[in-house]
Amino acid sequence: MDSSTVAAVIRGLKRAGVSTVCYLPDSLFKELYPALDADPDIRTIQVTNEGEGAAICGGIFLSGKRAALIMENSGLRASVEPLARMGLGAGIPVIMLMSYRGELGENNWWAVPHGITMEPILDALRIPYRIVREVDSVERAITDAFDWSYAAYHHSAVALGGGLVR
Amino acid sequence: MTMTRFDCMTLLAEKLSDELVIVSLGASVDEWYNAAPHMREASLFQQQLGCVTPQAFGLATGLPHRRIISLDTDGGMLFNLGILATVANERPRNLFTVVWDNECYQSIGGPPTHTAKGIVSIAAIARGAGIEHAYTATTVEEFDKHCVAGLAADEPYVLVAKVSSAVQPGIRRKHSDGREDKYIFVRHVEATEEITIMGPSEHN
Repeated sequence: MDSSTVAAVIRGLKRAGVSTVCYLPDSLFKELYPALDADPDIRTIQVTNEGEGAAICGGIFLSGKRAALIMENSGLRASVEPLARMGLGAGIPVIMLMSYRGELGENNWWAVPHGITMEPILDALRIPYRIVREVDSVERAITDAFDWSYAAYHHSAVALGGGLVR
Repeated sequence: MTMTRFDCMTLLAEKLSDELVIVSLGASVDEWYNAAPHMREASLFQQQLGCVTPQAFGLATGLPHRRIISLDTDGGMLFNLGILATVANERPRNLFTVVWDNECYQSIGGPPTHTAKGIVSIAAIARGAGIEHAYTATTVEEFDKHCVAGLAADEPYVLVAKVSSAVQPGIRRKHSDGREDKYIFVRHVEATEEITIMGPSEHN
């Protein structure tokens, strides 16, 4: 990620009112994590798996604060169980920002399942999402996801792909 | 084990008034509903395996001035042990975690969990993760003592209660679902914190 994309993500999170992010580091977002850690307005919580991060974000929602779950899209598979229980069972929303591993252009064999499974899993969980490949669209995508999730009380996701992350 | 979960819950409930509670799943739901009637609106009933302590930690993160209690289970905690490492690193000052360890998956008929062989100790795992105050109680006296300490601690405190697998007989079933329970809990948080969490639409 270049610095303009990192800045756009942080602008979007702040405009959406996010005060805490949970993350499990991945390589495509590697420039984003230290920037978030260094930001005085955002608390970062590093988790051991993305499902745990989803549940923590759900708890933060219940406190009246706003949180985001930031991860590689492979983390979506680790999060399916808590996402299903919280979203479909109770209407406790989690807003996710994912790196789009495995889209066309991917040159790592191990990343192929991440790309193939991402959209079907989001569809199976009835989670609307937007794939963003232009830096000018990042900020709006994040605030749109929060607006929708706080109207629907269900999860939403933004995936950063293309040249934004590779 | 001779100690029952319901007796422990009754002891814990007597100590609570302004706290917020995230409740585990299975039979403990109805038991807490009956043992702590004054805490019903302040308790989130969700039936979410592996989510209980992470949600309680998230709530504790968002409301650092308020005591948050996680009522987890052996099966639920074993499902996501990573939260103990995260809690150890983040060191919330207001999170008291109780793990009802009846050594079985009670709600599906009682097959054993990993704690049943007497080898695995969730309290020892928590201490190994870095939570210094993590204990196992086998008597109501020990449980009571640790509740007093855990509710006053200014660092994370984990109490594993070794309880029998007996379900308290004759208690009233809670019959609302997780969505209704969430609204009841959220409206209680809103009222007591004087904030809006699930606010009105803008109509624009």
